[in-house]
Amino acid sequence: MKRKSTVRVLAATTVAAASLITMAAASTASASSGGLAKGAPVNIGISLSLSGDFSADGQAFERGYQLWAKEQNASGGLLGHKINLIIKSDASSPTQVVTNYQDLISQSHVQLVFGPFSSLLTVPAAQTAERFGYAMVEGAGGAPSVFQAHLSNVFDVSLPVANDLMPFATWISSLPKGQRPTSAYYVTSNDPFTEPQLPVAQKIMSKAGIKSLGFTVFPAEVTDYTSIADKVAAAKAQVVVLGSVDVPTVSAFMQAFEQAHYNPKAFIATGGPDQGAAFLKAVGAKNASGMMVPNAWYGGSANKLSKAMVAAYIKQYGGTPADINSDVAEAYSVGEVMTQAVQATGGFDNAKIIAYLHSGKVMSSVQGPVKFNKLGENIDPTAFTFQWQGTQFVQVNPVNDPNSVKVLFPKPAWKS
Amino acid sequence: MSGSALTYAIIDGVLTGSVYALMATGLTLIFGVMDIINIAQGIFVVLGAYLSYEIQLHWGIDPFVGLLITIPTLFVVGIVVERAFMSRLKGPEKTAMSILVTYAVSLLIEGSLNMIFSVNDVQINAWYVNRSFKLFGVYFAYIYVFGFILAVVLLTALWALLYRTRFGASVRASLADQTAAALIGINVRRVATICFGIGTAVTAAGGMVFGATNAFNASSSYDLISRLLTIIVLGGMGSLGGALVASIGMVMLEDVVGVVWSPVWSTMTFFIVLVIVLSLRPQGLFGKQLARTA
Amino acid sequence: MGHWSRAVWVLGLVALALFPVVVTSPAYVAIGVFTLIYMACASSWNMFSGYTGYIALGSAVSYGVGAYTMALVSIHANMAPGAAMFWLVPLGGLVASLVALPIGAIALRVRRHTFVVITIAIFFVFQLTAINAGFTGSTSGLILPFISWNESYYNVPFYYVALGLVIFATILSALVRRSRFGLQMLAIRDDEDRALGLGVRTTSVKLTGFALAQFTIGMAGALYAMFVGQIFPQFVFDPLFDVSIALMAFLGGLGTLAGPLLGALILESFQQWLTLTFSNSSLYLILFGALFLLVILFMPQGIVVFIRDRVTRRAAREKAAVAAAETTLAGSRA
Repeated sequence: MKRKSTVRVLAATTVAAASLITMAAASTASASSGGLAKGAPVNIGISLSLSGDFSADGQAFERGYQLWAKEQNASGGLLGHKINLIIKSDASSPTQVVTNYQDLISQSHVQLVFGPFSSLLTVPAAQTAERFGYAMVEGAGGAPSVFQAHLSNVFDVSLPVANDLMPFATWISSLPKGQRPTSAYYVTSNDPFTEPQLPVAQKIMSKAGIKSLGFTVFPAEVTDYTSIADKVAAAKAQVVVLGSVDVPTVSAFMQAFEQAHYNPKAFIATGGPDQGAAFLKAVGAKNASGMMVPNAWYGGSANKLSKAMVAAYIKQYGGTPADINSDVAEAYSVGEVMTQAVQATGGFDNAKIIAYLHSGKVMSSVQGPVKFNKLGENIDPTAFTFQWQGTQFVQVNPVNDPNSVKVLFPKPAWKS
Repeated sequence: MSGSALTYAIIDGVLTGSVYALMATGLTLIFGVMDIINIAQGIFVVLGAYLSYEIQLHWGIDPFVGLLITIPTLFVVGIVVERAFMSRLKGPEKTAMSILVTYAVSLLIEGSLNMIFSVNDVQINAWYVNRSFKLFGVYFAYIYVFGFILAVVLLTALWALLYRTRFGASVRASLADQTAAALIGINVRRVATICFGIGTAVTAAGGMVFGATNAFNASSSYDLISRLLTIIVLGGMGSLGGALVASIGMVMLEDVVGVVWSPVWSTMTFFIVLVIVLSLRPQGLFGKQLARTA
Repeated sequence: MGHWSRAVWVLGLVALALFPVVVTSPAYVAIGVFTLIYMACASSWNMFSGYTGYIALGSAVSYGVGAYTMALVSIHANMAPGAAMFWLVPLGGLVASLVALPIGAIALRVRRHTFVVITIAIFFVFQLTAINAGFTGSTSGLILPFISWNESYYNVPFYYVALGLVIFATILSALVRRSRFGLQMLAIRDDEDRALGLGVRTTSVKLTGFALAQFTIGMAGALYAMFVGQIFPQFVFDPLFDVSIALMAFLGGLGTLAGPLLGALILESFQQWLTLTFSNSSLYLILFGALFLLVILFMPQGIVVFIRDRVTRRAAREKAAVAAAETTLAGSRA
């Protein structure tokens, strides 16, 4: 009796399965990619970290992408097709990133994909895209670990992060003997985005005779920075180079320095001060003055494209140019680079787009010129240093750039 | 290594540690009386921080004064959560189930906070947040000193409540042995509800100080809860004194290792200490002797 | 095992085996791969923690060790990217089991509540080592040889290997449960001191069970690393992984054979689907939390036990009804 029923169940399932397979085969056949019909929108798929560890940046990126789509649509879309962004959240998780891009490409049948936020998610995302033959143009995957993957479809429109601190280090080393600081402290979170940057600066500055009083690495996941900051303060170095990725880290160091009545002559942080209004809100507008940050872009950029984007951003979201998070420009640049590649190749064929992006053509973006090497690194951008002067966020390095203003040096005293 | 950095590390340990002690006391009290591990304690701290932040922003009330509003508010939140969810947990798997339920509550609150406040970090600001004064050649930050005083005041009040009142006697009886307490006529259920309320209410104060010393958003709760849990385990689950000693000890250990060695290894040192302590004293530093199979 | 439950098992297996054939969308097959990985882990976790009552929250150690074994060996042996890398999956499991021996020897010296915490503490020691050590690539992670299979079928081999892990974990779990060894573990859960008194060598039983359970979890970690292509310390030594698999087992029914499988199937696929569907993540957190709460409050014993109770109660009621009818009939006839 028992045996018989098992057999019957097996038989029934086999029949059911067979019919399902037939159906599935039929549905696969009907799903082909093909060209884009006239008047049909062009769909672009993006996975962003709208929650979780990278959510603040993820949401700024979303604004940048949306703004680009809106502006591009206002001027006729892409080759006459209206742009439609399909944005999925990945909760800052690599498993979700893989699922999301597979879904976007195979299910939503997007014509193009843009990159996620953070170097941590870029490789899994790009590998997925590569297997589909899609180009992965991104603005936030500039860590050396991304390019070590040697993928042929990754293109980072932003500055490769390892060289971010070079203008600052060059500037401070070039100061006349009397003004040049004599000591520096390097402190960084162990993050793939920040850690590679500091040794580059340390090398340049040491050569100019600026003594290293310490190089401390702290775990990225820590939330109480007081003791680390106190240790740096106790060393009383004249320059502090902080490898940070977010506002809370910078704000904690600033707070601890002020409490210890320690004010370095120059204080640069690799991430945080570039977050516009969010930074001012967390540290207090008065205390921001003198804080420096390396980057490829800022709200006051003289770049013509950038000015247009800033105007559009303010029209949409309000505020001032200094309020705009640089993530917005990174995302916007992705859109611009893709626009130029699509227009140059005359379609949405990803193989042609990849070939074009590898061709060494110089493209333009709100962050300046873009030209890719074999690894997909942008080798053309200028690295800048920016500084808060009062509540103004201005460009200070490279010093010979016509748009740079004089560095506020030494850094004004804390006042809150 | 400069001696002053070490001095600061020790001072930090005592001052910040006391604030952690306040938050951990709530957690250990809840466990001791109810056998409940409250994973939502972390998000309650963040909730307390946001409440203080908002009250200051909209009504201009100083965060310390605002505690008169936020502490009762979180007390009520605690009572509601206890009545709605915790009171349903029974049976031998109660402790394990409580982890799941409070984790779910934590997710609910996290989602709501994200929705209301967005994920951008904020920080509570007041005149004393960034300032400090000099005493014996050492700088003391006002906010840490104030936080320390607040923690001492509240812990003393809690101690008085537990050791000087009738209600306190019933709580202590429940801490010692719930079944026996019920047998001598103590309303263990009511005691449990109020203790959950108190355990939650202290997070309002802890949250305020946390929010003034750190920029935070809803996801700050994960780091908080993992720290608080390890503190109460090290001190001995259910031991109020243990929570105090372990908080200060842990923060100090982390700070000192961070200063003399490297911050990268300070957390690791702490966990290694934890493993060693528990291998030798499974009930934690000050925990009561556990039952046979517990 | 009744014929109904046998039919459910067969049906379940057939459905899982046919899933990638029926649902050809790579995204859903990818969700399938992750879901199967979690099912294997939850089942394996349950084989130790569910049977002995020792809740381990450090399984991510095994997962991470498996993942790093896969990554380090494939990188340093200069392996050609492709199917050959699947051979490293059992190796990952083996290394995880070996690593578990000293961990178990330390952690299992204490009783339940403390055991939970020691496993968490040891987990953090491993995570921090991976973050800070040089050979793990520290925070930059490790990039595995890139497998360039076409994406439309890339997921499929991974899916079936993951399914193999699930079957392996389930059969192992079932065999252990029926064995003397399994009974000893259950005896420890019910009353450890009594079991010891009755001559069960509790320490070696616990240690063997613990190390055995880590084997599948290590294999799962290795498979994950190969599938995703790049690993970072915080993603493979992930505290949420520990919580998740424990949650899955509880949700489905602790100590049961089908419970952890069902729990993982529901939770992981639901979670991935929810994130995929709701780009508004705050709403997602609220929905997930609320549903989760409802299930725990209304089915505290887990879904499997909840359903089984309903079925047996209904059967009992039917039996009673039949008996009652027969009595009445007999009465009327008399």
